[in-house]
Amino acid sequence: MLDAVTATAAELTVEAVSLSFGGHRVLKEVSMDFRPGQVTGLIGPNGAGKTSLFNCLTGLYRPQQGRIALGGQSLERMPPARRARAGLSRSFQHVALCPELDVLENVMFGRARLGRSGWADAFLPLPGGRAERAEARAAAMDVLRRLDLAAFSDVTPAGLPPGTQRLVEIARAIASRPRVLLLDEPAAGLNPAETRQLTAVLRGLVSPELIIVVVEHDMDLIMQLCDRIHVLNFGQRIASGTPAEIRADPEVIRVYLGDSDD
Amino acid sequence: MPEAVSVLAPRATAETPPLPRRLTVWLLLGVLALVPAVAGGFWTYSVGVCMANAVAVLSVGFLLRYGGEVSIGHSFFLAFGAYCTAIVERELGLSVGIGLPVAAAAGAVLGIVFAWPSRALSGIYLAIATMALALSVPELILQLGPIAGGYEGLYVARPLIPGVSVDLQRYYLPLVVLALVVLLLARFRRSRQGLVLLTARDHPRAAEAFGFSRGYARLAAFAISASIASTAGALLAFAASTVSPNSFTLSTAIYLLVGTVVSFGSLGLAGALAGGAFITLVPQLFAAWGDWVPIIYGAALLAVVTLGHRPAEVLAALRARLGGGRRDA
Ligand SMILES: Nc1ncnc2c1ncn2[C@@H]1O[C@H](COP(=O)(O)OP(=O)(O)OP(=O)(O)O)[C@@H](O)[C@H]1O
Ligand SMILES: [Mg+2]
Repeated sequence: MLDAVTATAAELTVEAVSLSFGGHRVLKEVSMDFRPGQVTGLIGPNGAGKTSLFNCLTGLYRPQQGRIALGGQSLERMPPARRARAGLSRSFQHVALCPELDVLENVMFGRARLGRSGWADAFLPLPGGRAERAEARAAAMDVLRRLDLAAFSDVTPAGLPPGTQRLVEIARAIASRPRVLLLDEPAAGLNPAETRQLTAVLRGLVSPELIIVVVEHDMDLIMQLCDRIHVLNFGQRIASGTPAEIRADPEVIRVYLGDSDD
Repeated sequence: MPEAVSVLAPRATAETPPLPRRLTVWLLLGVLALVPAVAGGFWTYSVGVCMANAVAVLSVGFLLRYGGEVSIGHSFFLAFGAYCTAIVERELGLSVGIGLPVAAAAGAVLGIVFAWPSRALSGIYLAIATMALALSVPELILQLGPIAGGYEGLYVARPLIPGVSVDLQRYYLPLVVLALVVLLLARFRRSRQGLVLLTARDHPRAAEAFGFSRGYARLAAFAISASIASTAGALLAFAASTVSPNSFTLSTAIYLLVGTVVSFGSLGLAGALAGGAFITLVPQLFAAWGDWVPIIYGAALLAVVTLGHRPAEVLAALRARLGGGRRDA
């Protein structure tokens, strides 16, 4: 039973988080946890607050109430950049790649945080910096290959179809070697074959230390990929459980699954 | 390089600039190196100042390119570098060989000192904050008292290499430093920090989500830009052999912006030279036109303010239009 997995110290926990924008309550006392070694799905109708919850996790939004902790370490007071250094990484629902960098460079940026080269290396051909850059290129190329994107390494993202741009974002997030990987609608814009490949790649990423959270409207992907699922509706968590449990949950069927087979 | 071989096309990108571009650079450098041999004293002097101004144009271009911000205040950093050099010479008896590195390093610090309190500003608000810097320059210099030479200013006369013609040094030092700055900036584009600044410019939230705060990006872009501007100031002082408060007014700052437009925001040699030449030579050549000179500048400035709004797209479009690009792949 997946739910029998004992709580480990490295969990990402959300406790009673409430967020509102000028009286509009976007998240209402949301509590849930995300466990390492698992892929957790976060689903719910449009406007349910999924992206807002991601933004609370990464620090772009400051919830008015509640606690967020990773492995027992409280994140609330950390600015976004510090949370990234603590191991959080994400893809954006609205693609946020740098148009001036080619695909490989965008992915290399993902692991810029891991670099140790200093300002002298940035300007001068010092051996340490060169070695690090070669290593970064190789690592980024590796991730691109895993996502079947190697052929696009030297084009800029603007020339690529939206689905492919999204994959590049995911590659960038993977390249940052996160402890927590938050993916916001990774399959949007992908065709069925690409979605299957993405599912396989994400499945292959699962490791005992890594927490993967996926927000997605594609139920096939969610059901195949996830070990556990949390369901949000109007800013409230209405269900949590295995894919089988969620599929059978009458409340979830009523508010979400029922009308999603278009 | 080898591990990044693409299956689609030979890679002529950040790692290795395309051959034609490299040839242009060497050709330009060759021509510039010959100027003193074939041209008279006036042109040698003027082109020397052009090259110093080209470095100044690069400093504003750097901030636009890597910070996504427009500065109307870089005459401040320019003046700082120029006076640094002049004062190091006057007070310590040391040549530009010491003055320039001192100016470059202190300029970076000064850039941070300005960028920190203004880090929350952007766009027109930041531009206006930088304008306040520019407006303060002449008065600040006068306030420094005798050490800065008052209205008359100071001379920068000490040769870099004793025994060699000073006039030639006044020409070749700007040439060598300009070439170096262009080379260093080309390297920077490929660096880890370069990738961070470019991403932070277009998607600050993405940069934050990957561990780099907006403050970091802003401070870094300003420090480098101010350091280049300060270096340019040192070169200008040396090339023109004198510094005085009235060479660092608000118009100077605006001309630098105009130069950036003329360079198409390029951080390459040809673009920088075009910008430097424009702001150096137009006032000289069109001196007879009198009142029209500011109007020419004004029109060019309007262009940069409109373009400066979306530097990335504009630069990409320009590059595609000019046919220099792999970016339209
Ligand atoms: N910055 C903001 N200011 C005001 N309201 C916001 C803001 N961000 C989100 N909201 C509101 O919060 C609610 C939840 O939005 P959110 O983007 O989190 O939904 P979502 O579950 O990700 O939906 P979707 O599936 O469409 O992406 C919406 O009503 C939205 O209008
Ligand atoms: Mg969303």
